[in-house]
Amino acid sequence: MNRDHLVFFLFLLVFAAVNIYLFASGSLPANMTGLGTFIAAGITLSLYSFLYKDNPLFKFAENLYVGVAAAYTLNQVWYTVLLPDVITPISELDGESMNNLWLLVPTMLGFFMLTQLSAAKYSWLSRIAFAFVVGLGSGLAIPRTIAANLLAQMQPTMQAITPDFAGVNLFIILVGVVAVLVYFFYSVEHTGAVGVASKIGIYFLMISFGASFGYTIMARLSLLIGRVGFLLEEWLVLQLPLF
Amino acid sequence: MKAFLLNLDRRVIFVFVALGIVIPSLAPVRMPIPITKDVQAIYDTIEDVGAKNGTVLISFDYGPSAKPEVQPMALSVLRHCFRNQIKVIGMSHIPTSVGLAQRAFETAAKEYGAQYGEDYTFLGFKPGGGSLVINMGSDFHGAFQKDLRGSDTAELSVTKNIRGLADFAYVICLASGNTPDGLWIPYGQERYKFKFGLGCTAVMAPDQYPYLQSGQMNGMMGGLAGAAEYETLINASGKATAGMGAQSFVHLIIICFIVLGNVMFFLYGRQKGGAQ
Repeated sequence: MNRDHLVFFLFLLVFAAVNIYLFASGSLPANMTGLGTFIAAGITLSLYSFLYKDNPLFKFAENLYVGVAAAYTLNQVWYTVLLPDVITPISELDGESMNNLWLLVPTMLGFFMLTQLSAAKYSWLSRIAFAFVVGLGSGLAIPRTIAANLLAQMQPTMQAITPDFAGVNLFIILVGVVAVLVYFFYSVEHTGAVGVASKIGIYFLMISFGASFGYTIMARLSLLIGRVGFLLEEWLVLQLPLF
Repeated sequence: MKAFLLNLDRRVIFVFVALGIVIPSLAPVRMPIPITKDVQAIYDTIEDVGAKNGTVLISFDYGPSAKPEVQPMALSVLRHCFRNQIKVIGMSHIPTSVGLAQRAFETAAKEYGAQYGEDYTFLGFKPGGGSLVINMGSDFHGAFQKDLRGSDTAELSVTKNIRGLADFAYVICLASGNTPDGLWIPYGQERYKFKFGLGCTAVMAPDQYPYLQSGQMNGMMGGLAGAAEYETLINASGKATAGMGAQSFVHLIIICFIVLGNVMFFLYGRQKGGAQ
């Protein structure tokens, strides 16, 4: 038995002992809520055990999460979309109420998508559905994206620069936009004035990456704080002064 | 010591980070929470909506992985709305957010006595993305014929007067993905010109600032800090405010390690046998 096996079994032993104490003392209720807290604590610790080393507990928790998320999504799609919006209206079609007959068209297109998984003899049908999705998606996305992400973004960059704090901000934004665009303009050699602008562009990019990285650290720590708060407050039932 | 610091095991950093979270959680460390103008803007808009008896739409677009950051925002915004007797309609572009949204509605509604159907409803998850937003803009009752409990949206008190997205006094997206800049702004705000606010994870926040600058959104809560600011504004300290002490403490630890790493690199890293 090597050191990793020893750590693994010690972890299981401590976890089991803590839970026996929590259930025996009544800190965790012996019902579905208590069981849920116990499972959630076990899975949280299993996932964080990866920080020590990859191990079977981490693999188990990771695969369990994927499975549960897939099942939950299927449940939501079935009960809130497929059943009320597709299956029920189509099953109610009769000679008198034919208002929902059009639903057969998207339903058939949906089935055509699934033929991609079948034998080559039928898989060509999926191209009809994909053509519809690509055509519709492009038609919707191209004008909206240009309007929202290009034209609307250009407008504030082109405002008049005023001699106040807002004007300084606008000037910095203008310099940043131009310099970064120059950096990504590869048709001219980056020497002389173009080289200087390109260099300034790199600095703006570096500052942007730094800000993104800082925010990412903050986000990941927030998630860790949330889980630690759960473990201390809900699993170990500690009366924390803040949580 | 020099060799130890040059080849520091990453697990040592993990231990420091863990202690940096656990210790401030056990001992009360309250940090001052200054309010930024982007969070204040969301608060002010909701106050304004309350004065005009408007209706707010909240899109719950986050999964359990973003719960510690975004769920406090959801609770705070709902508490603020219910406190001001604002009608709230919830929906989701992401199936895994349904349970979280339901829990947030139940908690806030219970605290302020908000009634389902009269003061709020939750429409649940609907696929479609951009086409769903466009559909909601032109025919709200057609896009969501029934809410999650199966009530008809054309008859429900809270939804019967809503014809399209332009009828909402404020639309707030609580997100951990690309729904604000991928769906709500291009397909909704740009087209139907409603007031739009965002609560998002800290990872997303830097990418959303251009939309604040352009006025496509009027306010933003970014990460746990944004959630804590909103809790401070509504005088209801919650999990976000509680987490700020630990977060500040761990940030200091990480800054120390970054400084230490750079000092060791510049002193010895470039030499033979330096940092590995």
